[in-house]
Amino acid sequence: MHALEIRNLSHWYGKQRILNKVNLDIAPGQIVALVGPSGCGKSTLLRAILGTDPPSEGQVLAEGRVVTEPSRDVGIVYQNYSLYEFLSAEENVAFGLKLDKTSLTSRFTALPAYLRKRREHLQMARDFLKRVGLEAAMGQYPSQLSGGMRQRVAIAQAFILKPKIVLLDEPFGALDEATREDLQLMLLRFYQENLKAKQRGEQPQYTIIIVTHELNEAIYVADRVIGLSRFHTEGSQGAMVVYDRPCPVFHPDDPKDLSKLIEQREELRSAVFDPNYVKHHSKYVSFWDELSSDAMAVAAMNPN
Amino acid sequence: MIRRPIPRWLIILLGILGVVSLLAVYGGLSYRQSVINEKQKVIPGLQAFRDGVSRMTTAQGTEETPKPSMLVTDLRATYWRLFLGIGLGVVLSVVVGIAMGAYRWIAAPLAPIISFFAKIPPTAMLPIYFVLVGSDQTMFTTMVALGIFFTMAQSVYLAIVNDVKDEAIDKAYTLGASDPEIIYEVIWKQVLPPILDNIRLQIGPAMIFLLAAEMLVGAEGMGYRIRMESRVLNMSIVYIYLCIFGFTGLLGDWCLLWLRKKLCPWYDR
Repeated sequence: MHALEIRNLSHWYGKQRILNKVNLDIAPGQIVALVGPSGCGKSTLLRAILGTDPPSEGQVLAEGRVVTEPSRDVGIVYQNYSLYEFLSAEENVAFGLKLDKTSLTSRFTALPAYLRKRREHLQMARDFLKRVGLEAAMGQYPSQLSGGMRQRVAIAQAFILKPKIVLLDEPFGALDEATREDLQLMLLRFYQENLKAKQRGEQPQYTIIIVTHELNEAIYVADRVIGLSRFHTEGSQGAMVVYDRPCPVFHPDDPKDLSKLIEQREELRSAVFDPNYVKHHSKYVSFWDELSSDAMAVAAMNPN
Repeated sequence: MIRRPIPRWLIILLGILGVVSLLAVYGGLSYRQSVINEKQKVIPGLQAFRDGVSRMTTAQGTEETPKPSMLVTDLRATYWRLFLGIGLGVVLSVVVGIAMGAYRWIAAPLAPIISFFAKIPPTAMLPIYFVLVGSDQTMFTTMVALGIFFTMAQSVYLAIVNDVKDEAIDKAYTLGASDPEIIYEVIWKQVLPPILDNIRLQIGPAMIFLLAAEMLVGAEGMGYRIRMESRVLNMSIVYIYLCIFGFTGLLGDWCLLWLRKKLCPWYDR
């Protein structure tokens, strides 16, 4: 079953149609980058997937369940406002466990049992924070953390509940170059964990849609890039998926080989961002056709 | 240079110097006035204060039916009214403010009404309270409670609108929160510091409101006493009462700051 399915999704704001029959399937374990010109409807699509702004037409399904409102099926990491200021790093990560695994009344009426669970949840949060390299900052409040540390905590907070899919909405947009690269490597490590899980025959834990303005970043961290744009034959009717292709899989321990990115970045730039590009895009909407076992097999062969 | 930092010892020394200068200026003025008129009571000296304190603290009534001293009676009356009024006003305004901040269908009808009443100076509403609630203990409490309710409910509502971002609420839903959990675990915890700051800010207006009412219709209480004693120029008692206001105000402020530090350690960081 797909982690996420989007069926004929259209969205209007008043009389203006923003999205035009968007169709997408995302398999568990994929890291998908979503790119597109400003104002093309990326945020609208993201809100529809999150459930805060359901589509005017069509459906979003997370593992077969229709998304109509925000729920624990779909996680989110924002560029800003990612963390609760009043909770320390470990409490932020354990926040989802607290909300999901205990009820508000039980926190008062069954205090000993709740406190026991709370200790377990905080331990799980600390273990997760260790995995994202934040063991030193567990007790600190968000205002005491750097931008990069905050985003690591936010990512841990979203993933600890194991949602069907996590949306990263320009998560590294406000970070400096070095921190950005560190976090990109973290996503690549998640992808490697996914591949290992698949090899073991388990369900991969990290299914991600990352919205980014950086085309290099999109191709580097994702195994698939989706371009959303109005520059197509029915452009006046709203944005559609005009680009959907696999990308090279990078290994976090290998040096970053930019030459592997260049060709696809140029292809993306012309197909998604150039208003004068030939408006026939079917050539670039070919993910599932192109996904012969090659891409996955190559990735799976890479050990560690 | 503007805002150049100064050492801590200098801050303390200058603070003490300020208080000592104030006392010295008062002492000087009092002495000068006493030279002009030996029986003056407008700027009383040490002896007059001693007499005042003794009069205030002497038990009233007869031996068979003793009554507490003037000071105890007034303090008890005023601060009980203030405590009840502020308590009730805070609880009401926090409940209404949070409900408005959480649900737009509650905010839509209430926001214009609350903004309107918040603009009316509470003291100007005194006659309405006299008419509607009478002039007993209930009236003083209601008056203080309603006096702070409108401004505080509006402040709590605006604090939620400004400080609790939609993203924080949506994210809580994605982490499995229910509506009551979002109200308690996200909204309440986020706006607790501004609520505590607002209570601090409301103590002053609540005092003004209560004193004005006590001066007009009180039969006991600090406002009543200040009016009665100032009529006969017993300024030693009036000044002591004013000092009590100053000290209790500082104490209340300090308690609420301490509470904010204990409950919201994240806020000052």
